[in-house]
Parts: sequence; C-alpha cells; structure tokens
Amino acid sequence: MRNTWLRWTLLGAPALIAAGCATYPDQATTHQIAEKMVSEDFSAPTPALLKRLAQDKSQQICSKIGRAELTQAEADEVLKLARASIKYPESGKLVGDWKTGDKLAHDGAGDRIQGGRLEKRKENGGLCQNCHALAPGEINVGNVGPSLTGYGTQRGNSEAIVKYTYDKIYNAWAYFPCSNMPRLGATGHLTPEQVAHMVAYLIDPQSAVNRK
Amino acid sequence: MFEVRCRIAAAVLACAGTTALAQAGNADPLAVGRQMLAEDNPGELWIDQGKQLFYAKRGPRNASLDQCDFGLGPGKLEGATTRLPRYFPDTDKVQDLESRLLTCMVQLQGFKREDIVKRAISPGGSSGSDVEALALYITSRSNGMKMNVALSHQKEYDMYKAGEYLFYRRSGQTDFACIQCHGEPDKRIRLQDLVNMTDKKQIQGTVSTFPAYRGAHFVVRTMQWRLYDCFWQMRLPELTYTSDASIALTTYLHYQGNGAVIQVPGFKR
Repeated sequence: MRNTWLRWTLLGAPALIAAGCATYPDQATTHQIAEKMVSEDFSAPTPALLKRLAQDKSQQICSKIGRAELTQAEADEVLKLARASIKYPESGKLVGDWKTGDKLAHDGAGDRIQGGRLEKRKENGGLCQNCHALAPGEINVGNVGPSLTGYGTQRGNSEAIVKYTYDKIYNAWAYFPCSNMPRLGATGHLTPEQVAHMVAYLIDPQSAVNRK
Repeated sequence: MFEVRCRIAAAVLACAGTTALAQAGNADPLAVGRQMLAEDNPGELWIDQGKQLFYAKRGPRNASLDQCDFGLGPGKLEGATTRLPRYFPDTDKVQDLESRLLTCMVQLQGFKREDIVKRAISPGGSSGSDVEALALYITSRSNGMKMNVALSHQKEYDMYKAGEYLFYRRSGQTDFACIQCHGEPDKRIRLQDLVNMTDKKQIQGTVSTFPAYRGAHFVVRTMQWRLYDCFWQMRLPELTYTSDASIALTTYLHYQGNGAVIQVPGFKR
C-alpha cells in the first residue's frame, strides 16, 4: 500500500490521470472475471458433471454478495419456481418407511467427485445429520439447521403436516426462498421415494426422532 | 517415518482424551483436547523436511529453490507469506504461495508442472508431498509476523472481488456456496466446528494457521487443499490446484485476515 502511494507521489498527478487508478472492478466486470474462472478452473470425469457448476435461475437470485436482502419480486420468483418444481412419488404416498428414512438421514455420502472419479452409490445419502439434531440424545449431529428432535410429536401427522414436510425437504425454497437448506428433491440429490422415507422418519410416532 | 508420526499422534490423542474426560463438565470439553494437541504438534516434523527440500539441489536442472522470489526478492523468505497472494510482474499473475512455488520448481529446477500438481495434495496417512512440506517451511519463516496482504495492482483488486463473488455463488445439487456453512457463529457440521468467515477474528484464526497438521489425515494440509476439500463435499467438480478460482478465494480471505499473526503449523482435528 505504502509503495503504491510512493509511486503515485513520484509520478505525479498527470501520470495518475493518464494511467488510471487501480481500484475494485464494477459488478459486471467481476461477474465476467469470476464466471470465466468457474468455467475454466474445475474438472470432472464427464462434461455432464461439469454442468453442476452452472446456476439455475433460483441459484442466481440466491447468490447475493453479503447476503443482501431479496427484493419482493425476487422472493416471489424463487417461491414460484420452487412450488413448480415439486414432484411426488408415483405411488402418491408421501409417507414411506421411517427406518429407511432413519438410515438415509444419517447417510452423508454419495455423488462426490475426487481424483477424476464420481463416488458410486446406489442412492445418495440424505445428509440430514450434518446440519440437524435428530433423535433425542444423539451427539454427532450438526446445528446449521434447526433441531428436528420431536418433530412429529410437536406437529402431529395430519395431511397438511405431511405435505408441508414433504415439500420442505423436496424444495425448502417453496417456503423460505434462498434458505441455506439444499433443495434436496428439486436438484435431484434425492428421489421422491427417498423424500417420503424421510417424511416418515420425521412424523411417524414410532420413529427415533419422536422417542421420548 | 510414518509409523513414528502415527505413534506420536496416537499418544497425543490418548493424552488429550484423558484430559478431556478429567475435565468433563466444562462448557467445551473438546477445547481442552484441542489445546493439548496444539501444544505438541506433529506438523513440526514437516518444517525440517521442507527446509531440506528448499535448499537441496533437485530436479532436472539440479538446482535449489534459494533463488525463488516470493515477492520480497530472490531467496528472501522472512515475511514473504504475510503478503501473499500478490501480483508478480514476471508471470503477470496474482499468485498464492503454492502457485508461486510451482513457478519456481518449474523454472528453476525444471520439474514438469503436471508431475508436481499430481502429487501436490498427498493421500491421508502418507508421508506427505514435497509441496506440502515446502509450503509449511516457507510459511514458518513468517511465523510471528502479521498478515499484510495489499491490494494495489488492478489484478489484485480483480482477484479479491472475484473471490468475494465465488464465496457467495451457489450451485450444484446441494445449493451451496461457502457462505451457507461459514456465515454464522457457533455452527457445526456434525461435531466439526465451522469457521464463521464473516467474522474478522475467525478469518484471521484460519488464514494464519495454514499449512496445518490435520489429525484425521496424519499429514500437513495447505490452503489449496482446504478449498479443494470444501468443493468436494459440496458435490461440485474438482477445483484445479492453484487455479485462478482458488487464488481468488484465497485473496478474498487472506486480505480480510490482515493483522493476524502467522503461526504455523496450525493444528486441525
């Protein structure tokens, strides 16, 4: 910093005007520079996997620097896109098996790319444990998201709660635009059937989450 | 060598465990273990290795790295990493420590770039890579000095802003950018504490302690590794070693870490 000042002082004002002063680039320039990096500085075993870096419309809206607030129009658009994204299991059953959901909730693996290889799994883990408290007394759980302990005990298992829970896991932005929660179903990380198992895990009175 | 390291690590872990138990009931019993580990850091072993590698005549040109210029002049290491990343006129690029090290290993020693890159990030439980040991040694020569990254060249400003942009850029099937996990205080992924990168103190604590010994991997890890590993966990494609994207993020974080006193090797769980 001091060097710069010294240089400008020695060169004098005319040179300063002629050379132009180095400063922060504007938003459009930054966007251009950074997006060039995104397109050039990552690798993947297949071109399809490289596309993971491409942003959909909602992700673009949800990437504000400094987490600046959304405008009403932006929030509305994210909500609209999220609602339109939700797909349900072909069976129509939104509540699966809570034990399967339990396993999924504690599975943080699947679909990672390392050493030029894609992590091969039959299906992806649900990732819940990474960010949410689950069964009572469970210690190895994260706290990035709210606690889900006693989720069903507190809310019951009415049809409205089932649908809300399913939608929330499938695409959380249908209720909270741009929240930190991944749109697990909408991005294809989980299948509708997997989401239904997790719904069961949360609302079934027998589930470990609702154990007293 | 690896066996020795393992034994040291195991002993340290065992000690830390006992202490943590003895102090059960404290607000954060894990903090006690972490403190113990930090006091007897196996990463120290890599500093000597890095020093030997730095001054040894190696590579097709049978040259040492003592003419490598990290920004303060050829061979001047004291305080050099306090100013990195920075713009280098000879390459016309903003470079971080590891990127600059690659430049020197290629230009001075004649190593093939892709050969170094392939081995730069070592497998866990291995004896580590040359780059990891070198990066630690070079950084250790700034120990006790304050981070002082400057933005003055236009490309430095561009890097900083691109880093900020990338820090908030959400993508992929987890919809994650850096900010989703590193934007609030006192958060954890499972039991792992997450650094809040919107807090100057916490940024400082991170950027001044890499390269660090990573207990779970039994090797020294660099900032390039730290960033690569985050993208892996986010399910995104692999961040290219010393790419502009990685240097942009490093510039963004290091600049905000200015004022922090460098103390490496850090210790990470």
